Amino acid sequence: MNGKPKILLVEDEKLIRRFVRAAVEEEGCQVVEAETLARGLIEAGTTKPDLLVLDLGLPDGNGIDLIRDLRGWSDMPILILSARTQENDKIDALDAGADDYLTKPFGVGELQARVRALLRRRTRSGEGASPLVEFGAVRVDLSRRVVERAGQGVHLTPIEYRLLCALLAHPGKVLTQRALLRDVWGPSYVESSHYLRVYVGHLRQKLEDDPTQPRHFLTETSVGYRFQP
Amino acid sequence: MDNESGLAMRSTGQLRPWQSIAITLIACAATTLLATPLLGYLDLANIVMLFLLTVLLVAVTLGRGAAVLAAVLNVLLFDIFFVPPRFSLAVENIQYLVTFAVMLLTGLIAGQLAGGLKLKAQEARQREQETRALYEVARQLAGTLALAQVVEAAKQFVRDQIGAEAAVLVPDEAGHLMPAVGGRTSCRCEPHLAQVAQSSGELVRTDEIAGSDYASLYLPLKASLRVRGVLALAVPHGALALPDDKVALAEALASLVAVAVERLHYVEVAQATQLGMASERLRSSILSALSHDLRTPLTALVGLADSFFLVKPPLPAPALENAQAIREQAERLAGLVGNLLDMARLNAGNVTLRREWQPLEEVVGASIKLLGGALDGHPVRVAIPADLPLLEFDAVLIERVFCNLLENAAKYSPAGSPIEIGAARAGEVVEIRVCDRGKGFPDAGAQGLFDMFVRGRNEAAGSGTGLGLAICRAIVEAHGGEIGVDNRPEGGACVRFTLPAGVPPVVEEEPA
Repeated sequence: MNGKPKILLVEDEKLIRRFVRAAVEEEGCQVVEAETLARGLIEAGTTKPDLLVLDLGLPDGNGIDLIRDLRGWSDMPILILSARTQENDKIDALDAGADDYLTKPFGVGELQARVRALLRRRTRSGEGASPLVEFGAVRVDLSRRVVERAGQGVHLTPIEYRLLCALLAHPGKVLTQRALLRDVWGPSYVESSHYLRVYVGHLRQKLEDDPTQPRHFLTETSVGYRFQP
Repeated sequence: MDNESGLAMRSTGQLRPWQSIAITLIACAATTLLATPLLGYLDLANIVMLFLLTVLLVAVTLGRGAAVLAAVLNVLLFDIFFVPPRFSLAVENIQYLVTFAVMLLTGLIAGQLAGGLKLKAQEARQREQETRALYEVARQLAGTLALAQVVEAAKQFVRDQIGAEAAVLVPDEAGHLMPAVGGRTSCRCEPHLAQVAQSSGELVRTDEIAGSDYASLYLPLKASLRVRGVLALAVPHGALALPDDKVALAEALASLVAVAVERLHYVEVAQATQLGMASERLRSSILSALSHDLRTPLTALVGLADSFFLVKPPLPAPALENAQAIREQAERLAGLVGNLLDMARLNAGNVTLRREWQPLEEVVGASIKLLGGALDGHPVRVAIPADLPLLEFDAVLIERVFCNLLENAAKYSPAGSPIEIGAARAGEVVEIRVCDRGKGFPDAGAQGLFDMFVRGRNEAAGSGTGLGLAICRAIVEAHGGEIGVDNRPEGGACVRFTLPAGVPPVVEEEPA
């Protein structure tokens, strides 16, 4: 990675672009702006950014199409900006390959945290992967399939373990219900969201300090789940 | 045209007897005149044949009555003019009595057969003609676009084919049978009889009032699902009651009309659904456009206020305090806008809930996480029994209920005091409560608290619009639950709401 990470910002509102630019520049990034989807697609091809920040409500089309286009040739992290009323749009965008989303209005602090997390994941993916994952008091050894909490072995059922692996594989990323159901239970279960909810509950019971106020297995209401190391 | 000729044929056989009598007389006389000159050349036995031929011809053309007349007349004429002694009824040879008897019998039998045949042919023609008329009306009804057209086609058919007046009655919104629109009719209906036909689904027939301008026949319009109305028939003034075959024809018509009425009903339903969907789409697109337009400046406001903190070198403390205040106010405004838009969406009626079966604790956890700093250091204690069944609700909306209740609790209770969330199964419902350690509601139990723009705790300085509880009620009621408040004996307010327990889907336990 040479120099500053490049961030492509696709957003039609000038004032929002201004503070997003200020916020990510403070994080030491370099910003390329685009006002429209068409422009965004061109910039993505020419500048090869390290992160895309994309507003879903652009005047010249659906941001989801841009995500699909990009995912054809790039795995750059994508952060979605969206209004709260568009739950379905968020899910579609995440299913299309977006990594995370921010709900408007959002503060600079939140934005910086998300950008940092996404960029960190990008740099880390180059390093040699370790079979050891640690969060809170929990230690998971993926090579030996052993889960320990505060030094004590924790017994997980096969489905619970598969679900845990699916969540651990993408730290910080929002995983949609459909994606998790498909990965863990199989394609015929994508509509049975209550399975997912019950098993996430099991994981929280076994691995969280306070299962009712989880700190690692977070709910993105009606969208999906996020594993926060 | 067929109709007219059919009626004409009927009348020669039945309705105008003097004509057929005259024709029979002429035919018999003509036979006598024709046979007289042949008397010298032909045997009497062959002359008998001529008379038999006449009877047969009369029977075939004029029917049974004329055949009987001709048979008797021919025997008399043969006796008088041909059997010696001629010109008297007396008979020389007793043998001729056998001839007479055979003549008479043959004539009667031939007449009977021919007459029956003719009647059958007539009936067949009549039936064919009715079938064609039914087909025609079915075709017409299949092409109708409005109830008025159906009624008009039915009336026309009844007038032409049955010779009566018709009316179509359909139930209005209240279930009362009312004459369907379409043209004038002289058919007056007895509402009670029509109602009987409608509710029983059976034909009602009262021949006593036939001919009085009141409908004497009420046929239910039985469609596949339910009776769609009543077809009433009134025979014109002075006419007789309807014969059975006409009633059968009317029944056939009634079933065709029923199908047409039902088809139109479904067309209407489909149109209404389409209209409803269109207006629903419009409403939600207006709301989301509004939401976008309101949120965009708020997003800029929050972000730009935040970006004062990024300025290097740092701004003086009072400027940063102002920036922080701007940010907080903008966030409150955003919350307000969210509440207003939610209220608008809920008030617009028929909210589509995205109900899914899920554990309650998950949405509680998500709400606490979402509020974050807004809880202002109030610890939240959650006591949800582990065996509480899954509940079916719209997670986004119930999250909003918890957020509003938690926010209220944090706002109206002393700093640092805990907020408690509990849940328990209570029969068919699950009761959920959110309690604080504040002063409680001054007027607990008053449902007015849940009205829009009512603020229950008047000590609050400036904050809140009184929308929060109204939204909670709208959401809970949309889920089929109830919401209420009370004060705890040890101090503090409790908001309780219920959600129906229902029958959760089974999640199979895997072998551990």
